[in-house]
Amino acid sequence: MPSAAATTTATLAHTPLTAEAEAAMRESLRRCSAKTIEAAVAYGQTGAPQHIPAIIIGIIERFVEPELRPRLAADCDDLRVIEDLGLDSLTMMEIVMLVEEVTRTKIENDELRGLVTIGDIKIFVDCRARGVPPPAPAKFILGDELRTRMPISAPFLFLDEARVSPTLATASYRITGQEFFLAGHFKGNPVMPASIMLEALGQLGVLHLLTGLPVEAGKVVGVATIFFASTDGVRCHRVCKPGDVLTLTLKPKRLKEPLAVYTGSIRVGQDKAISAEEITLTFGIVDAPVVEPAPAPAAPSAEASAPAPTA
Amino acid sequence: MPRIFITGLGFITSIGNSSAVVEQSLRELRHGFERHPSFAADNIPVKVAAPVREFKTDAEDPEDWTIPGAYSVKREQLRSLSPNALYASCAMQQAIADAKLSPEDVSNDDTGLYAASAGSPGMLARQVNRMNQHGVMRCPPLGIVASIAGTVQFNLVAQFKIKGASTGFTSACAASAHAMGFAIDEIALGRQQRMFVVGAEDGNVETILPFAAMRALSLNPDPETASRPFDKKRDGFVGTGGATVLVLESEAEVLRRGVTPYAEVLGWGQASDGHNVAIPHPEGAGLTAAMRKALKATGITPAEVDHINAHGTSTPMGDAAECKAVRTVFGEHAARLAMSSTKALTGHGLSLAGAMEAGFCALALKRGFIPGSAHISELDPACAGINIPRTTLLEQPRIVLNNSSGFGGANVCVVLKLVA
Repeated sequence: MPSAAATTTATLAHTPLTAEAEAAMRESLRRCSAKTIEAAVAYGQTGAPQHIPAIIIGIIERFVEPELRPRLAADCDDLRVIEDLGLDSLTMMEIVMLVEEVTRTKIENDELRGLVTIGDIKIFVDCRARGVPPPAPAKFILGDELRTRMPISAPFLFLDEARVSPTLATASYRITGQEFFLAGHFKGNPVMPASIMLEALGQLGVLHLLTGLPVEAGKVVGVATIFFASTDGVRCHRVCKPGDVLTLTLKPKRLKEPLAVYTGSIRVGQDKAISAEEITLTFGIVDAPVVEPAPAPAAPSAEASAPAPTA
Repeated sequence: MPRIFITGLGFITSIGNSSAVVEQSLRELRHGFERHPSFAADNIPVKVAAPVREFKTDAEDPEDWTIPGAYSVKREQLRSLSPNALYASCAMQQAIADAKLSPEDVSNDDTGLYAASAGSPGMLARQVNRMNQHGVMRCPPLGIVASIAGTVQFNLVAQFKIKGASTGFTSACAASAHAMGFAIDEIALGRQQRMFVVGAEDGNVETILPFAAMRALSLNPDPETASRPFDKKRDGFVGTGGATVLVLESEAEVLRRGVTPYAEVLGWGQASDGHNVAIPHPEGAGLTAAMRKALKATGITPAEVDHINAHGTSTPMGDAAECKAVRTVFGEHAARLAMSSTKALTGHGLSLAGAMEAGFCALALKRGFIPGSAHISELDPACAGINIPRTTLLEQPRIVLNNSSGFGGANVCVVLKLVA
């Protein structure tokens, strides 16, 4: 479906740059690398979407402090623009303005909020350029909503807030020092057990299965069907202590009932704390519970004004 | 009431970008004037200004500005800075180092910052032009923070993680004197232990030239004589910009930290002319009242005052009115104290003036000299009866007054004392 239609759309939408517009574009990008400018000019002339990643990386690079730029070199689609690259939301806005100008797209404020990683931005702009709808943005889940969704609760829930999309789940957890097991692990020297850090990654997997996994209509992942199955290739890199904020990242590798295989890692700031090549959960797909339709709000006899289920 | 001291100074001014160079300029009466390139056009009758040196802030994009290497300003900070907030940030870095303050001393509940600046009319104009040409969604997101009055405290409070009291003052040429007065009160009332006082101005075409329309600027094209307060031939002020930061601290903090202050701040007074929006009261009524209130508040008698750093902008009416006020307050003692205007060297810094000149007074008290009033070849008879030394005196002043007057007829007088 996409290729033929997309090519047509791009061709139809594309009007090559005038010399004046090219000069203006070069001026706007004058603090970006030569590679970025060439990609932008090539995109301006041909409308070919393969130039978009270079444009996006080049524009983001220009706004990142020099010491963090090497992070953009390799596979950087998972890098979160704000948390990992130290850019604030106002810098994000400057990036978006420049991306909009160069790619002649428009990104609305509510769309911007869903763009967390570099990969999100690339996919979004690419979809815009091809004229296809962008994927649903990551869901941001925290507080009561997180506690309600999860089949796990205090004192054994190790997620404070999470972002979940079909292809990526991230979360954070602040080690408070009040965790019951820290009293004994170790005596007089509270250290977050590695097994609990793996548990936290597993919990994020649970949230991903319950929130981010696309299933057919009328079906859901059964809350009571999810269990830890195995883990492989675990490496610990850093001791984590009360006050540390754990940043969890989980990427699905294979998702096929009854197994969900993820690769996961935890960082504290920019330090790697733990990584697992594979974390496997089992899960089952069940019929969605039948939801009673809510009573019509206008019905005068609506004595049964029971609260609607908050699924 | 707790005693209050000045413990740190930072200067980005037309006569020097450090305390050492400023002191030397004051001692040797070296001015900061030049024929300003942006006033070259034939239809601009004003030719002289006193620009800040070593910085270049004319470009529309702050990333194109030239900033001396001694200062650290990140891109994310630069994008919300006006030229005057940049100068203030650099002066703040100087003042913190000068007062030997740790990051914890700067960022706590008991340390605040009061600032004065007219904002950045130049950046505001460029922002509005861009909005009209390209639409508002193509304007820099922080353009508003960089351009409106308040830009100095918005930026500095965030940049230096200030957690105590913070606000800005907009009484034009009295603004940073007001900032200092209310900062004194914050410490006197026990609400804060330490206050940064900041005065700053862009000092470019957009902040200076509009005063030509008011006929307030000197049309004299000679940098050597354009600014000559109290001279018979004075014909208006010469504009300048830059920034000054003063660190005020309670006695308890001075003792705790074991630092040697520049001067003690005894107190201040203020009063208004109730006369005209831009013209000073011909008898200097508001300034007379401000000086009297300052003396009363501090328990100082007129005869105890050794030196007045006058507002003295070099306008015909302003200087004459100030001289009347000084004669009214000091009577015969006016001929014994030494009054001078350092605007003969710096030009008029508008919102910057009060803090900058209070900084000069602190230097004079600490180092034992009284700056002369430069560029007087014939004293105006309207200034008779007051001792106005034309060269710097190597005398140790004990009590010093700093006068400032602003639009609307606002007048402020601050009283400083030698730390014996």
